[in-house]
Amino acid sequence: MGTRERRARSYSADARLASLFSEALLLIPIISGRDSLALAAIGGYGRGELSPGSDLDLLFLHNGNIPEADLTKAVEKILYPLWDSGFSVDHSVRTRSEVKEIADIDGRVALGLLDIRWVAGNRDLVDTVESVALLDWRKNGGRWISELRKYSHERSQRSGELAYLLEPDLKESRGGLRDITALRGIAKTDLVTVELDRVAKAESTLNNAREALHLVTGKSGDRLSFFEQDKVAELLGYKDADELMLNIAQSARTVDYLSETVFHRFDQYRPAPKLFSFKSRGSNQEKTEEIAKGVGIYQGEVRITGDLELDPSVLLRAAASAAQRGIPLSIDSCTLAKDKLISFPQPWPREAREDFVALLGAGNAMVQVWEALDQAELTQILIPEWNRIRSLPQRNALHRHTVDRHMVETALHASDLTRQVHRPDLLLVSALLHDMGKGLPGDHSITGAEIVKPILQRMGFPENDVSVVETLVMHHLLLSTVATRRDLDDPTTINSVCELISDPLTIELLHALSISDGQATGNTAWSSWKASLVADLVNRVKKQISGVGLPPQPEFSESEKDLAKSGQIHLSIIKRDEITELLIIAPDRPGLLSLVAGFLTINRLNVRSARTRTFANSAVMRWLVLPDVYAPDISESALKQSLTKALNGELDIAEKIKERVASYRSTSPIPVPPPIVEVIHDGATEATVLDVRSHDQMGLLYLLGKAVTESGVDVRAAIVSTLGAEACDSLYITEIDGRPLDPKRAAAVAQSIEQQLRANKI
Amino acid sequence: MANMNLITAIIKPFKLDDVKNALQAHGIKGMTVSEASGFGRQRGHTEVYRGAEYTVELVPKVRLEVLVSSTDNDAVIDVIVKAASSGSIGDGKVWSVPVEQVVRVRTGEKGVDAL
Repeated sequence: MGTRERRARSYSADARLASLFSEALLLIPIISGRDSLALAAIGGYGRGELSPGSDLDLLFLHNGNIPEADLTKAVEKILYPLWDSGFSVDHSVRTRSEVKEIADIDGRVALGLLDIRWVAGNRDLVDTVESVALLDWRKNGGRWISELRKYSHERSQRSGELAYLLEPDLKESRGGLRDITALRGIAKTDLVTVELDRVAKAESTLNNAREALHLVTGKSGDRLSFFEQDKVAELLGYKDADELMLNIAQSARTVDYLSETVFHRFDQYRPAPKLFSFKSRGSNQEKTEEIAKGVGIYQGEVRITGDLELDPSVLLRAAASAAQRGIPLSIDSCTLAKDKLISFPQPWPREAREDFVALLGAGNAMVQVWEALDQAELTQILIPEWNRIRSLPQRNALHRHTVDRHMVETALHASDLTRQVHRPDLLLVSALLHDMGKGLPGDHSITGAEIVKPILQRMGFPENDVSVVETLVMHHLLLSTVATRRDLDDPTTINSVCELISDPLTIELLHALSISDGQATGNTAWSSWKASLVADLVNRVKKQISGVGLPPQPEFSESEKDLAKSGQIHLSIIKRDEITELLIIAPDRPGLLSLVAGFLTINRLNVRSARTRTFANSAVMRWLVLPDVYAPDISESALKQSLTKALNGELDIAEKIKERVASYRSTSPIPVPPPIVEVIHDGATEATVLDVRSHDQMGLLYLLGKAVTESGVDVRAAIVSTLGAEACDSLYITEIDGRPLDPKRAAAVAQSIEQQLRANKI
Repeated sequence: MANMNLITAIIKPFKLDDVKNALQAHGIKGMTVSEASGFGRQRGHTEVYRGAEYTVELVPKVRLEVLVSSTDNDAVIDVIVKAASSGSIGDGKVWSVPVEQVVRVRTGEKGVDAL
């Protein structure tokens, strides 16, 4: 097994062919010339490697002077003994010009020619074909790369993904040997960088597996069926079939990832501008555009420009920026990070945690960025426990994916459901970690909950959040199981669930997690049939869990309330740590929330969270803000001056926000679920709360506040939170004169605000 | 001449295990199970779960199909009804139709031998 054996087979085939060739040559009439014929190897055989089941890819080259009948006899003189010996031969007989003609049309032929190797006969014939093939390949590089991409896509449609199939085709499946050959071909175009050394190990693993498969089956098929995996694993010296498949999966992922990266680079490639053209084309710029502290965009990829040792959080900042913009994270930056980042601070800084959630919530764009981190083994620096489940196979018909990929897919589906829950950050993190217990003895739900606790603590989540996630992981299969196996009409069924899940937040999270998990597993495990059963169960449980779920109104200290009574305008900066806390007190009036939010945005302070409440005609507000990347430090007094101006209507807030938003984003945003506004009405206290959930964007709170005021209602208290990239705001509202809203009016207000949010893309 | 029947049962999903066990105890060796939705005199829920694409007017059920010899028809129906019953609305229905021919794919056995 191995390169040496494959080479040995190749040499012996060469020798055999050489001797057959000299016999065949005797059949060529002397007039045509002994040097009128040559034999070359192409494809895998051309590279000098033969597995037992490999085809012999032969090219017979002639100069056109040999009579047809003699040529045929000569070729058959070589082929028949080969066929009789059981070789499978793929051959063609051509002149050099015929070869060029076909190579011009068919990319697969052109690709095979890049590996051409002389075996017997006139060397010149072979040499000229070789140099012409390479020249033509380089000349039409762009076209060939597009074609290779097309073939690769077709292959993956036909033969699936090597990394995830239970019984993959080692050659044809995506991430397999054909893709490696394609990468080699792309490298030869000299148009894009292809780091072939990254796939050297993968190639060796896959070739060895293929060779072992041929030896075990005695046949030439490349599909590694379940049945053969044990014998192949034994032959190659792996512990068991699982270890074999794990290595194959990892190899395939490396190949696939490199292919993705290379194709992306190619998309960014533009031919160099012509001599007298002064316009430099878009992404061929040499400049790096800075988008966050230590993070820049260069040629369509996000790069880390900051110092990883001083500011390790830059890794997640870069990842979140890339995912939220829908562009890739540079493979070089990740490799660099791997060298420089030895460990990550514990507990994680708040900003790192927020960036992590923003990364997870980014939808499809997240997958590439996560893969980039994983390929560079950075995921295990962030989550050491990830290493154990990386590429861990799930050897049953229910699951399409390995454990780690399944959890990433679950997080992907969860990002669609962020509007359905009040804590999207907990949903996303639970989705990513829900199967951490797999591959260990015992019930993976229980084991998973134990594993997840230290992970969450390391990330710096508060204790309450940690236990919610623990509960979610522990019971992530509960709803599906109960909904299909138990009588939903029976009160004991509902009671048994309520005993385990006793609050509205957890049940809504668990519901969203169940949907995400089911969708990620595939339609063997989830369908609208099952979804409606689960929804029915959740509805019944929600009815039974007591409480309307109103968030408690924010509390403030006596001194703060005293300041409110004075009716003065107050602004103080309480602490400047990872984040800045501002206490603002101002006389209450309609539109105050929007005004203050706008004032903060104009002063380049991004709102992360806020707690506000009206006491005695003044609003007391506590804001947590993050200054913008390069915003200069503002003093307390300067801020207070600006606030006073804003309250007096001297600042044109609307205009300034428009300017800021316009300069902020230059790339088109990733698709996100639309904003949702819900009404919660508590009959007992007659309080009405608007629950607003939306993708975070600059000026959102300003916009929201304006929409609320225009609806003719007043905000008495507000709880504003930004979780990753999702904004979750709860507003206690009344009529302008302070009366409570009746349910119909509240519903109308909610709908109007929701429509405005959906229509207004600032 | 029909001497075989196809018995179809629409039952509540959570009753599947009970019915399966009861049939196996009766000596039935094979059956087909599929997911189904429907309604009878019990109308479906009219609540729409927020954000979900489905309105639950059709209630999820399970469809069970068994091939039996005609002599066994009534007894098997009885077994299914007893096991599937929960007493509340939505328990479902069981019916049978005559079957002309049955063949076992692997061996080619026909008729009652293929049951």
